Amino acid sequence: MNRFLPDVLIHTTEMMKNKHVAVIGGGIAGMEAASVLARQGLKVTLVEKQKATGGKLNDWHHLFPDFSSPGVVVENLDKKTVRAGVNVVCHTEISHIERNNGRFELSDQRDVKIFADAVIVASGFHVFDATLKEEYGYGLFSNVITSVDFERRMKKHGKLLTLQGTEPRRVAIIHCVGSRDAKVGNIYCSKVCCITGIKQAIEINKMLPECEVFCFYMDLRLYGSKFDSLYLEAQKRHKIQFIRGRLSEAAERPDKSLQLKAEDTLQGRPLRMNVDLVILLVGMEPALSNSSLMRNNQMKPDENGFFRSVNMHEARNVGTQEGIFMAGTAICPMAVNETLENARSAALEVMNFLRTDKNHGGF
Amino acid sequence: MHSKLNSLLKSDVRLEEGLTACMNCGICTAICPAAEYFEYDPRSIAVTVQSGNEEEIATLLESDTIWYCGQCMSCKTRCPRNNCPGLIISVLRKVSQETGAFVQSRMGRQQYLIVKNIGMNILNYGYCVHPTILMPENHPEQGPVWKWVYENMGEVYASVGANLNGDGPGAMRKISGADLGELHRIFKESGGLKFYETIEHFSKIKALELGFVNENGEADMEKYTQHLLQEI
Repeated sequence: MNRFLPDVLIHTTEMMKNKHVAVIGGGIAGMEAASVLARQGLKVTLVEKQKATGGKLNDWHHLFPDFSSPGVVVENLDKKTVRAGVNVVCHTEISHIERNNGRFELSDQRDVKIFADAVIVASGFHVFDATLKEEYGYGLFSNVITSVDFERRMKKHGKLLTLQGTEPRRVAIIHCVGSRDAKVGNIYCSKVCCITGIKQAIEINKMLPECEVFCFYMDLRLYGSKFDSLYLEAQKRHKIQFIRGRLSEAAERPDKSLQLKAEDTLQGRPLRMNVDLVILLVGMEPALSNSSLMRNNQMKPDENGFFRSVNMHEARNVGTQEGIFMAGTAICPMAVNETLENARSAALEVMNFLRTDKNHGGF
Repeated sequence: MHSKLNSLLKSDVRLEEGLTACMNCGICTAICPAAEYFEYDPRSIAVTVQSGNEEEIATLLESDTIWYCGQCMSCKTRCPRNNCPGLIISVLRKVSQETGAFVQSRMGRQQYLIVKNIGMNILNYGYCVHPTILMPENHPEQGPVWKWVYENMGEVYASVGANLNGDGPGAMRKISGADLGELHRIFKESGGLKFYETIEHFSKIKALELGFVNENGEADMEKYTQHLLQEI
């Protein structure tokens, strides 16, 4: 025990040692929050429905804006959770949270039970189902793929080919698919798609310098500090063309290429274009498991279906049910670095909550 | 006059339904069949109406632009904000007709022809278009086959089981006087007749302005009609 630490902190640590936190979701938010709490001496159980942790990042090829490896991020988080002593339970999907006498009881379909003093919901997001935008032809035309398909293909094969096995000479990247669209019930912006599109456009240009790449956008929402410089690089060095207009529809031609209809709104005229491949930048939606998690407790959805915070500025990680906290994209769309920061802030909120827990005498 | 335009537009419930807020994405123009053939951009019309700029709206009401829409409402199926430029156009057309702005454009002036043909056909026959009134000399676009059908109307329609101008049920049957009277009352109550009168009123003023005057010093609507047909 460190003699230089003030008594009160040692006392707190002793008290906190008996506290148990359950973290739902073994993606990067859950891993980060769990490892931070475990390093503080708490007992932490991280529950993941898949066979391994890492979540969506396991499928991603490169991260924006620096083209770094998501695999490395997951690997480091795995090491951190193991070293901190987090109890990782995979193959388990929590569908029920109940609060009894100040303790939480979490259960799955098979009646696995986990007891906890506090819960962090880090259940992540659901990728928009692009087949709902039937006019874009995803699932109908083989040369229409999503940005997630792009990441998976690049990770698996390291190259981008059309269905016919040829290198595309023209690719269109479509922004706002499933975002900012009242027709599919998502009026919010998924925030990360614009920069993902630019990243993928640059990757295509690096692989296939002869290939023309067009981004169809409404507004380029490049909120990150390094995002605009990537946009500039995309235009200057990679000759990516940006067309301000939302795609109206894609139609397959006999040769399996696609005819696109949009308006070039800066020119004020309708535009027809043939491309070999279309990439739909699919947005982020509330995770499918959210509704079952909200049932039986007082957690509430916000206007977009994500988990509602008690205060979006000052207590973003604090859920509407006392003792349940949220981390990462369960709250709203966010990028990897924001997710990790958000998870750390969730861990801090949990610490504060457990220290001041009325049932245990408080701080 | 100008501050009146915005309130006239806004008083129509279709504008409320058709324009909540436009974000200028152009998806309506991209799907619009009219935009493929004409200098026509439903997105910019939505933006003009949204801006509330009275001068630009006045220009729009006097332009050919608002008459290019075919009211197919494809725009409604696509708009990510659930707007409907087709409905905005409907309202602009109505205000153009009510204020007389329509006579300032070639496409707008054709409203008079439509009232005189389809509009009056509904009231006189109970049909927008009826074979007996589609005279081949006025409709060269129908071609020689129509001329033959017209000349052998009785036989042709009987052979396909229609009841041309007959009493009782069947296609092309005669619409009874009682039903026509009812139609007339509907048009009166709903303001349809008033609409016809308004279009005729402003068309007469335009005819005088263009010098189509008869010996009594009134508008010569025969000559005006000929002028409009040549304008098409």
